[in-house]
Amino acid sequence: MDSQKVDMFIMSNGKFFESHQVMQIRDRLIELDDSKWSVVQTMQFKDPTISLIVSLLGGSLGIDRFLIGDTGMGIGKLLTCGGLGIWTIIDWFLIMGATREKNLEKLQQVL
Amino acid sequence: MIITKKFVYEPGEHEAEKASNSYLMSLIALIAALPLPIINLLATLFFYIGNRKGSFFVRWHCTQALLSQFSMLLINSVGFWWTISIIFTEEVLSSKFIAYIITVLLFNFTEFAATIYTAINTRKGVHVEWWFYGNLTNLICKN
Repeated sequence: MDSQKVDMFIMSNGKFFESHQVMQIRDRLIELDDSKWSVVQTMQFKDPTISLIVSLLGGSLGIDRFLIGDTGMGIGKLLTCGGLGIWTIIDWFLIMGATREKNLEKLQQVL
Repeated sequence: MIITKKFVYEPGEHEAEKASNSYLMSLIALIAALPLPIINLLATLFFYIGNRKGSFFVRWHCTQALLSQFSMLLINSVGFWWTISIIFTEEVLSSKFIAYIITVLLFNFTEFAATIYTAINTRKGVHVEWWFYGNLTNLICKN
């Protein structure tokens, strides 16, 4: 794929991925076939900051986990009242990384 | 006691943040669950499990935080249940108990200070190895 297109994609979507993975993503996108560009371009990613806000407000009900697509963990958190508060606190720190990993998984399905 | 070393690679911004969070985890849980020492270990353990697929730098620091919390659990649990037995049973207050509690407090304050120092430095991407725990982590955590 054209490196200019890839750089544009990285510039607008870089914040949705881990900083140490951005270069690998760039390399793989450059190797990617041009026909997949439209799919990559229209992909919607979850914002890590939004998931952090949701985690702070609705973490004890597991809403943050539902938001990023971890339904199983969300139900677990909901039934245990956020793991008696401990899981909620842990997720305040984990959720941003978890969101970025989910975004990467989503992108990898296309790559 | 605390050695700053060069890591095998230069950690990225998000890696440093995650590694620093593993130490913050034990501090936050300390405030949330002060009387029960096991809560800290559980919090650090869950954080470690959450990051077990993370990069080497993150896993390394999660393991060091976990190991330090494990020794804290042993020392604090003895202190906790000894105190409970003095309050609720016929066990009497002795010089041995006071000496033990002073040791526990000293150990906790040292660990607390070291954790804050390490959390600050790890956030900047500096690799900090603790005395004993650092070597132990090197044995457990492989790239």
